[in-house]
Amino acid sequence: MRPNLQLLETSLIERIVDEALTVLEKTGVDLEGDEAIKRLLDAGLPVDATEKKIRFPRKLVEEAIQSSPSCVSLFNRDGDLHAQLQGESVHFVPASSALRVMDRTTSEIRDPTSKDLVEFAKVCDGLKNISYLATAFTPQDVPQDMADAWRLYLILAHSKKPVVSGAFTSYGVERMARIMAYFRKDREDLIQKPLALFTCCPNTPLRWGEDPLHNIIDCADWGIPIEIVPVLLLGMISPATTIGALVLHTAEVLSGLAIAQAIRPGTPVVFGGAPATFHMRLMTNPMTAVEALQIYCSYGQIARHLKLPSQAYMGLSDSKRNDAQAGAETGIGMFLAALSGINSVSGPGMLDYVNCFSLEKLVFDDELAAHALRFIRPVTVKDDLPTQELIAELIQERHLLTSEHTLQYWPEELYLPGPLIDRTNWDQWELAGSKMPRDQALEIIDEQLDNHEVEPLEPALHHEIQDLFRKTCKVKDVILPEFS
Amino acid sequence: MTDYAFMNQCLFEGKHEEVKKMTEEALAAGHPVQEVLEDGLIAGMRVVGEDFKHNRIFVPEVLLAARAMKAGMAILHPLLTENKDATPSEVIVMGTVKGDLHDIGKNLVGMMAEGAGFKIIDLGTNTSAAEFIAAVKEHNASILGMSALLTTTMIYMKTVVDAVKEAGLSSVKICIGGAPTGHKFAEEIGADGYAADAASAVELFKRLISEKTNASQ
Repeated sequence: MRPNLQLLETSLIERIVDEALTVLEKTGVDLEGDEAIKRLLDAGLPVDATEKKIRFPRKLVEEAIQSSPSCVSLFNRDGDLHAQLQGESVHFVPASSALRVMDRTTSEIRDPTSKDLVEFAKVCDGLKNISYLATAFTPQDVPQDMADAWRLYLILAHSKKPVVSGAFTSYGVERMARIMAYFRKDREDLIQKPLALFTCCPNTPLRWGEDPLHNIIDCADWGIPIEIVPVLLLGMISPATTIGALVLHTAEVLSGLAIAQAIRPGTPVVFGGAPATFHMRLMTNPMTAVEALQIYCSYGQIARHLKLPSQAYMGLSDSKRNDAQAGAETGIGMFLAALSGINSVSGPGMLDYVNCFSLEKLVFDDELAAHALRFIRPVTVKDDLPTQELIAELIQERHLLTSEHTLQYWPEELYLPGPLIDRTNWDQWELAGSKMPRDQALEIIDEQLDNHEVEPLEPALHHEIQDLFRKTCKVKDVILPEFS
Repeated sequence: MTDYAFMNQCLFEGKHEEVKKMTEEALAAGHPVQEVLEDGLIAGMRVVGEDFKHNRIFVPEVLLAARAMKAGMAILHPLLTENKDATPSEVIVMGTVKGDLHDIGKNLVGMMAEGAGFKIIDLGTNTSAAEFIAAVKEHNASILGMSALLTTTMIYMKTVVDAVKEAGLSSVKICIGGAPTGHKFAEEIGADGYAADAASAVELFKRLISEKTNASQ
């Protein structure tokens, strides 16, 4: 049996979904952007163009849920199947658009560069427990109108793994899709074998702004899987209580899903989210607050009930530094996410409300991910029931260290963490140089940067993609930064 | 012709019966005892030690190799003590100190040390100073190893150290281990060394023996 965390009774899930459908039918969702609204009308959605609002008939949403795949498959740069988001499978992935990085040499918080992103891609590609990559932060050394696509290009150039990303503008998806298409035979091949999962966020409460609405439409057109990520702030732009927040959250996800299905039935959609509480004194938005964790785990259950893949920002910390809070919040979140069967757990490497990315944290979080994944492995009988014989051997030999049973099972049963989880005793630790987690993390990073190899792109492909940037960037004669 | 590389490999893989057989065959073929020990057994254990140090193998594999080493040593030991040109196995007397019944760590040290070629005289748990001293004298031990898990029993280690000195056994090196002990405590009570784990205990034993040998030359 796989360990499973359940916060909601099935009957309560049904009531939440029912209420969300009622909200979509009666209250509806506001829309922005005339061009996008026209596109929705053309797709047959009952949009009130004057009011710029769509009230979704219940049946339409129910059918959209049916036409939305229960498994989202992600393929690598070479077109090989890499990950399947479905059922209770769990994948860990960095979050996608921090504004700052923590310099690994000086620990200074600063603007990210293209070189930082390349380093990130090289390190992340080699981490065993981070399933696929994300465009973790936004380089500031390129014009910002092309930054979304630039970071995708840098990741694809330095890792074969799929990527979680998203566009910054209403026209952003198109250029990013064209870059991804370079790695496929044609557009249809990209639809069949998606290389990325794109984040689209509604403007809570119940509004789709022009940019995310365009993004959903473009993603659906290009067959790019979409994770719908409402950002509720409990007590401020959401009911403060769990059930009320879940109804709003579910309604927002289903509205995005219904739009995507109307544009292209069968578009892969992931039931995502980044709910946070609203801190009633500091006015901040803790994503790792206990109540936010309850929302994450609960909507994971709702997603599974609806047979939709799920995503959650549960592998991160709101702390500013790689300190005890960072470790505790990230570890707790990852374990809860794994136990809740969240298919794509975003966040490793992230600090400060997804604003700051730390490479040291990423390698530490990779180790936490290993622990969470080990914990959810089903407990099964392994030649240890009945147990009498083993116990007799133990009593006779006084230990089981060299027992056939131990030799067969210990390598798969007893997980040995890497150096970031310190299992030495005091003397061993002292003898090994009294290293702190940061020292260990830097060693792992240097190791990866020195030794991890990814097949490079052909120079001609680099040239072609960079030419696309020069032609489409709004800055005339843009000079692209060196990054290798 | 004895294939020492194959013998080393068998030892590495913990094949104790094969190692025992190959040890017997090597002796029957006329190879000197010391050569069989060095090239057949110790060379194999050296690889085990290196691989353990570099996380390529782990405790169970080391212990299996140690068992194979022990099987070979059982054949060689009587000959080593007879042969004046050969180096006999160094003897370690070890036990958990009086009042303490914890022996998991001590047993692990014993198994690993045995694998490194030492002869182990294990006095078990709840061992008094008199028992330690008697065993050191009887077996002409090079090392006396003591273990304790409790802060209430570790102080008995000083009683043993003092008793050993009083008995005039100045050549035996005293090593201690166990969770509440440490380098500082070892120094305080006048012990010759402390090890934090079984693998470093074996390193400590080797170092003390080598220092002793160098001093006597």
